Amino acid sequence: MTPPDAPSSAPRTWKKPPFIANPLLRYGLIIVAVIYLVWAFGSLPFNWARISEGLPRAARIFSGGFPPNLERYELLITGFKESFQIAILATLMGVLLSIPFAVMAARNIAPMPIYVIGRAVIIVSRSFHPVIVAILFVAAVGFGPLAGILTLTLYSIGFVGKLLAEEIEEINWGQVEAMKAAGAGYVAILFYAVFPQILPRQVGLSMYQLDSNLRASAVVGIVGAGGIGGTLMNAFGRYDYDFAFAILLIIIAVILLSEGVSGWVRKKIW
Amino acid sequence: MLEITNLVKRYGHDEAVLKGLDLKVEGNSVVSIVGASGAGKSTMLRCINRLVEPTSGSIKLNGNELVNLKGAELRRARRKIGMVFQGFNLLDRLTVMENVLAGRLGYVNLYQAISRRYPQADIERAFVLMERVGIAHYANKRADELSGGERQRVGVVRALMQEPEVLLADEPTASLDPRTSEQIMVLLQSLASELSLPVLINIHNVAQAKTYTERIVGLRHGKMIFDGLPADFNKDALDAIYGGIEAPDDAITDTPVEERSHDSA
Repeated sequence: MTPPDAPSSAPRTWKKPPFIANPLLRYGLIIVAVIYLVWAFGSLPFNWARISEGLPRAARIFSGGFPPNLERYELLITGFKESFQIAILATLMGVLLSIPFAVMAARNIAPMPIYVIGRAVIIVSRSFHPVIVAILFVAAVGFGPLAGILTLTLYSIGFVGKLLAEEIEEINWGQVEAMKAAGAGYVAILFYAVFPQILPRQVGLSMYQLDSNLRASAVVGIVGAGGIGGTLMNAFGRYDYDFAFAILLIIIAVILLSEGVSGWVRKKIW
Repeated sequence: MLEITNLVKRYGHDEAVLKGLDLKVEGNSVVSIVGASGAGKSTMLRCINRLVEPTSGSIKLNGNELVNLKGAELRRARRKIGMVFQGFNLLDRLTVMENVLAGRLGYVNLYQAISRRYPQADIERAFVLMERVGIAHYANKRADELSGGERQRVGVVRALMQEPEVLLADEPTASLDPRTSEQIMVLLQSLASELSLPVLINIHNVAQAKTYTERIVGLRHGKMIFDGLPADFNKDALDAIYGGIEAPDDAITDTPVEERSHDSA
């Protein structure tokens, strides 16, 4: 507004423009958030008497957990072995099955009806948390590792399939064109021009998924799908707090280790 | 012999990119196609092997109509049409040999393709051609480890592995430095006469077109406005093809606007 050459005596100031420009909206949103928070806390049934009663019990459990007790390590080893088996088998099957579903769910290489089916499979396998899926599978095939394997396989298909499909949609299309120009058929094009391009991503995702399945296998065990989660649940059920704490510590150690290993492998590949 | 008659290509409801093109290429002649960006050079070439679907018209290769082919018939026809790309379009993570043998994918069955058990004759042919262009020692190297010129040689050999009856080159030298691009032009020129193969080259470099090809076809706005010997390609022809186009620099650095992005790695 002021001409650039006009002499100005006032020092020029600058302030970061507000994230929400309209002041009415800005303060309105803050007020609404505060009111909701107050109302939500006020209306939820917190039973303060029970909470104060429970606190010493929590303290008893924690003190009962120390020192952690590793005397029944055979149970621990059996549980972990089962968890590893669940995680590895589920990763292998999930990763293998995710490839055809990813191909089906990639818009650039799948015809429309196939694409819809592929996307639907991936969306369905992603829509429930593994624990919910595990409850369903335990009901369907009974307690034990099979339920865990099926759960985590489905979980892997959803996750790896989705990311792989996105990777396929972003491949260098020129390679596909070159194979088409040579007269190659659909499957040959997949094997020559598509899969090699997504291979590094696929290996990286598999490593990540193994890591993630190991973690999840401890959780799904709690609802009866086998593995270390079951062992942990039993220990709690029998007030075996020192053993339960030992299991928790080992789980943390194993997850840390597997995360380290999978991170290292993924870094090597990229 | 390649015979294009009244070829029309229109994308959606836009103005046609090719407006009734006629072109006849016989024997082992090397034909260069020049024209500004969007003139339809790339579209024309891609209509021939049906990477782009022509809207109407006829394209005949040695008497066989290509325009209405579908499925397996189309794949069989494509085997006879080699193509070299601007961005090379090599299978980067595979070896040079796998790239070269991929030129045989239209001939071998799926098991042979996936297990890389190509017939002995194909492997022999691959080595002969790779030796011819000087890349045989790279057979087991990954394609993305090669330099630009070497990569384009792989592209040329891959196309020749198809035992093509015509070779299409879509700006084969545009991603290369001037010297390497001269080498590739010399290579295409001499391979055409050695294998008595007609070659169609889309090219922006008019000087190279005049030096290395026997016939120049000029396109503008989807119509052929020049067809003649390099000697006859004078200033007037150049002005007719490129004249009145606001950004003359485009003629050197352009990528065709009408297709998917070319990866010129």
